[in-house]
Amino acid sequence: MLSINNLHASIDGKAILKGIDLEVGAGEVHAIMGPNGSGKSTLASVLAGRDDYEVTKGEVFYRGMDLLDMEPEIRAREGLFLAFQYPVEIPGVTNMYLLKAAINSVRKHRGMEELDAREFLKMIKEKAAMVEMKQEFLYRSVNEGFSGGEKKRNEILQMAMLEPSLSVLDETDSGLDIDALKIVAQGVNLLRSAERSMVLVTHYQRLLDYIVPDYVHVLAGGRILRSGGKELALELEKKGYGWVEDLAAA
Amino acid sequence: MNQVTQHYLDQFNAARPALAGAGLSWLEDQRRTALERFQKLGFPDQQEEDWRYTPLKSLTAKSLQIAPEKSKVDLEINRYLIDDLDSYRLVFIDGKYAPKHSEISGLDDLVVVDSFENVINVRPEKLGGAKRVEVPIEHGFAALNIAFSRDGYVVDIGDNKRLDKPVEIVFVAVESDLVTQPRNILHLGQGSKAEIIERYVSSPLSGSLVNSTTTIVVGDRSRLDYFLVQTLQNNVNQITSVDASLAGHSTLNCYTMTLGGQLVRNNLKIGMEAEGAHCEMLGLYNTSGKQHVDNHTTVVHQAPHCSSRELYKGVLDGRSRAVFHGRIKVEQGAQKTDAAQSNNNLLLSSIAEADTKPQLEIYADDVKCAHGATIGQIDQNSLFYLRSRGINEEDARAMLTYAFLNDVLEEVEIEPLRKVIESVLAERLIDDE
Repeated sequence: MLSINNLHASIDGKAILKGIDLEVGAGEVHAIMGPNGSGKSTLASVLAGRDDYEVTKGEVFYRGMDLLDMEPEIRAREGLFLAFQYPVEIPGVTNMYLLKAAINSVRKHRGMEELDAREFLKMIKEKAAMVEMKQEFLYRSVNEGFSGGEKKRNEILQMAMLEPSLSVLDETDSGLDIDALKIVAQGVNLLRSAERSMVLVTHYQRLLDYIVPDYVHVLAGGRILRSGGKELALELEKKGYGWVEDLAAA
Repeated sequence: MNQVTQHYLDQFNAARPALAGAGLSWLEDQRRTALERFQKLGFPDQQEEDWRYTPLKSLTAKSLQIAPEKSKVDLEINRYLIDDLDSYRLVFIDGKYAPKHSEISGLDDLVVVDSFENVINVRPEKLGGAKRVEVPIEHGFAALNIAFSRDGYVVDIGDNKRLDKPVEIVFVAVESDLVTQPRNILHLGQGSKAEIIERYVSSPLSGSLVNSTTTIVVGDRSRLDYFLVQTLQNNVNQITSVDASLAGHSTLNCYTMTLGGQLVRNNLKIGMEAEGAHCEMLGLYNTSGKQHVDNHTTVVHQAPHCSSRELYKGVLDGRSRAVFHGRIKVEQGAQKTDAAQSNNNLLLSSIAEADTKPQLEIYADDVKCAHGATIGQIDQNSLFYLRSRGINEEDARAMLTYAFLNDVLEEVEIEPLRKVIESVLAERLIDDE
């Protein structure tokens, strides 16, 4: 599904990622954990195609395609989804309008017909119920005046609508209370399948109580220092990030 | 006096015998005064503070012909009308009333919807004498318009009358190198309500100058929704001078939508003349190529307890330029005035230019006045967000541009009108790419 080889990236000339290697197979859920400033969000942004970052070395293949060569919208249409750490507020564009435009551009790219109004409504009602989002939110401007939890639920709603093959969730748990976290986790779990892969970027182990990963990687200083099963997250929780930072310095 | 001024004076003298209203002393007085003003003022130039951002040379150097008495009427009019709009309608072709394309049946005696020339010839008493149609002349364009006082529309609504549907007035510019000078009069009595859509359109060949004046009086407790909609081709210039006075507890919602024209200057002056009057001024403009749009607005709070709210939003592309000058004047007695003004510009190109100039003049001490202006570009975070959802860059830009204008657009409650504005806008935004 996703293959990252020796990826280096920098912003404004400052190196952030210093050689990332990662293999994500179909249906797998990988958690990437690490202290603040370790490069977690940079990795998520580079995968989605944000052009503030410059890839200085390495390559990324997504379903056999050269990902770094693709425009952000093409990545999305090919089934890559980024749930933003800080979802953007867009006054004047309703949730409904955005979702319809997004879904139809994805469908068009895949040679499918546009969804008609009835099918679209049926689908959105079902998915909104899944993340416990009230109907009225669909007619409001994208994320405008939404609480932190509502914004994150909106990201999961978009993800559910677009049915991506690879989802990258960037700090989706940050700023969520326990109830909101459960709703978000439940939404994500419902989307898990043998064909879908996920990369969860998180600072805290807490999210992994609800979305249980197949693999855990520890990122520090722009490199993956340790990889293991879900028990690695518990070890991190116990020992704290000081332990990996020492490893990085070594 | 320069050559151009002399040219128009000659044209005036040639047209004079055919002008309507001979013997109406108030009209003759107005024409004489206006002509004297024009001789004295000539056309404005950039030395004058109120005109400094708008070069008029291309417009005033040319000796255009005053539109002839007779104009072409065999026009495929439907393409200039709004689809699905159920309205009363007056059509003017090159400034001349075209009854053939107009539709005013079903109106009762309390309502006059007619051409200025017809009213002057047939029922001049409806204009109620000089006082009600007095026009303060602040520049040479308005002076020239009033001197001719030739044709335009009159909408005169009596007391306690709510119009059942909007009145649409369409001015079509057809021939080239003409000056047309609609003189419009819009009166609401007491406790009445109306929606007036004043539209300016042009055929692709036109290339003329439209120099219009509209005098508005909103009576006690009346409400007027007034739409000035400019979708001219980019070879037509337009100067408008709208002068409105609001009586006690009246409301004026004034929309200025400029989506075409080479050089457009809108002079809007609103007088809050008695307690409790309220006015909303909403503006929307989209410029591209070498277009130049200048909105010059003045609100004068003369009476206490009045409120005004002004929001102008513009999207600029290409080498175009937009000017906004918003003046709020609060006179000494106008305590408890509540006035807010804002102008926001979105630049889609690095060589487009927006000049915005808010100006507050306050002579009362217990008032609330706020103003703000912004000039910005498309937000890169929003753009990336939309693209990351599969929307291509062009569409994402158009969506964000459209969203920027949305808080003005959504205020247009007449749906067929809003649809026309939206579709012209969509066409323009896609064309520009």
